[in-house]
Amino acid sequence: MTAALSTPAPARPAPRQVRWLLRLHRPALCAWAVLVAGLAGALLWLWGPLTDAAATAWHDYDATCGRGRPCRYDQDAILRYKDVYQYTTMALLLLPFLAAAWAGAALTGREVETGTARLAWTQGVTPLRWLAARLTVPALLVAAGTALLGMLHHAAWSAGRGRVPTAKSWDDVPTFYTGGPLIAGLALAGLLIGALVGLLVGRSLVALCVSALSTAVLWIGVHTALPHLWPVATSVSGRRGFPSYSGIKVAEGIVTEGGAHRPVPTCTVDLSPQCQALNDRRGTVGFYIDYHPYSHRWPLQLASTGVLLALAVLLALAALRLLHHRTTTGGTRPGREGAAA
Amino acid sequence: MSSDTALRADALGKRFGLRGGWALRDCSFRLPAGRVCAVVGPNGAGKSTLLALAAGLTVPTEGSVTVLGTTPAAARPRVGYVAQDKPLYPQLTIAETLRMGADLNPGRWDAAGAEQVVAGGDLDPGARVRSLSGGQRTRVALALALGKRPELLLLDEPMADLDPLARHELMGTLMAQAAQYGTTIAMSSHVVAELEDSCDHLLLVGGGRIRLAGEIDDLLAAHLRVTGAGTPDALDAHTVVESRVTGRQLTALIRPAGALGDDWRTATPSLEELVLAHLRNPAAPALTAAGDAEDAATARNEEHAA
Repeated sequence: MTAALSTPAPARPAPRQVRWLLRLHRPALCAWAVLVAGLAGALLWLWGPLTDAAATAWHDYDATCGRGRPCRYDQDAILRYKDVYQYTTMALLLLPFLAAAWAGAALTGREVETGTARLAWTQGVTPLRWLAARLTVPALLVAAGTALLGMLHHAAWSAGRGRVPTAKSWDDVPTFYTGGPLIAGLALAGLLIGALVGLLVGRSLVALCVSALSTAVLWIGVHTALPHLWPVATSVSGRRGFPSYSGIKVAEGIVTEGGAHRPVPTCTVDLSPQCQALNDRRGTVGFYIDYHPYSHRWPLQLASTGVLLALAVLLALAALRLLHHRTTTGGTRPGREGAAA
Repeated sequence: MSSDTALRADALGKRFGLRGGWALRDCSFRLPAGRVCAVVGPNGAGKSTLLALAAGLTVPTEGSVTVLGTTPAAARPRVGYVAQDKPLYPQLTIAETLRMGADLNPGRWDAAGAEQVVAGGDLDPGARVRSLSGGQRTRVALALALGKRPELLLLDEPMADLDPLARHELMGTLMAQAAQYGTTIAMSSHVVAELEDSCDHLLLVGGGRIRLAGEIDDLLAAHLRVTGAGTPDALDAHTVVESRVTGRQLTALIRPAGALGDDWRTATPSLEELVLAHLRNPAAPALTAAGDAEDAATARNEEHAA
């Protein structure tokens, strides 16, 4: 009997584990759906009615106030636009942390902690397939949800640009990070950080904290690297003026007699006699500023998202490798996971 | 594949952490297929580590373990395992848990068998796992392990949470499974009496090493409890596991190497006596049938390869 069962089994249908993954995390799935739908609704409201109302109010303000007539404009519309913009932006900024904390605590950390991961592995699901499903399905849901919200946020912001004077400029940090695919890249990287940390730590509460903190560190890293992900534009002026720029300033300094650009920490304009003297001494013929204008907004968004996607892939491979090493390879025989799967 | 060996360890060792102690070291034994094996030892002896290694849930630091003729990872679909703390998803109902078993083990799930194990406990299939008592969880965990109709069933302290009635009934279910399908069962416990009646094979683990391995009958036959007036050196010709002098009386548990003198009264020890004597005396040499069995298995494998 044993020998009969030991012969290579005919191809069995694959275990239907995605269904159970969704069942086990049904509360999280529902919460995510409600969150995405709620924020999408708020952004649509902002995009259409709120922006129109605020633009009209500003128009009324310009038309009435300051021309000797009594001010007649809808101040509430302006404030409502500002509030909703601010709250939705903040909520979007929190999504990467939410994804990381959830993945670390609930997706992998708790399963390792309570031993239910081992339960799944001793059913017909190999550890690698178990983890692959746990990375793929949430990654798709998180990426799709945040990407949708990011694009809606950008659309809502664009609608107010030039019409609502108090609308944030494109290089405002929260506005830049939430408006576009970059927020999806951050959420995806956060999710995979959480999944890896949960596997490594194996305790849900610790994994929750470590994942959220690691995501903060990642964000700081992205913010530091961001200006260098795309070639800068440069604005140059002579000694008498100063270079004009708009957007994100990356570097500034002096233009030497040979035409070289040299970054300097002080006296990048001739404002004071001391600066003039200093610039005379160091042979300054002009000033320059390296910056990213508005036209660099999309290249910067896409380049940083690409870097984050690559990082997410590396994190996923690291998690799979870690699990494979723990459960399958090692000892004297190499793993036969492939043959078993 | 050597279909007559369910589990074989060769110089198996497991260390946790880089500088941690060895949970298991230098373990070699062979468990023939179709046996019901008691894995016995005190708390922290390495029983759970041994079973987790066999289930392919963790990898050895040194040596190797062969399960059903292949690596633990490759054998995983044919092995059932119930961990000591009986992990289950608390948010699922019992019925959902069994449906999950069916979905995760396509092609080999025995729904009727699994439901029968649960029904034996008079459990409501709609009850959430988080509302179950320890013993009831054990029953569901066993149903999940038995439902995949494993060839080798590894149970870590399966009976610890059960009342005597449930223990008796579930042990009966396990024995029926073993008899009907030829399932090899290895179950650990630190209570010898719990396993004595049902098991025919013994693996005694102490201090991370295998102290005794073999058929229980053979092990018992290899030992003698001797009583008589004499000094311990009178038994030097034999392997003395334990000896105690009370007044002029010497009582000892020995592995006789030859005939004993007429002045000794002898008796066959009980399994519990045998186990306790070995655990009390860590210096006593181990007795494992691994040596002979290994040679035989190697010879068979070579035959097979040729």
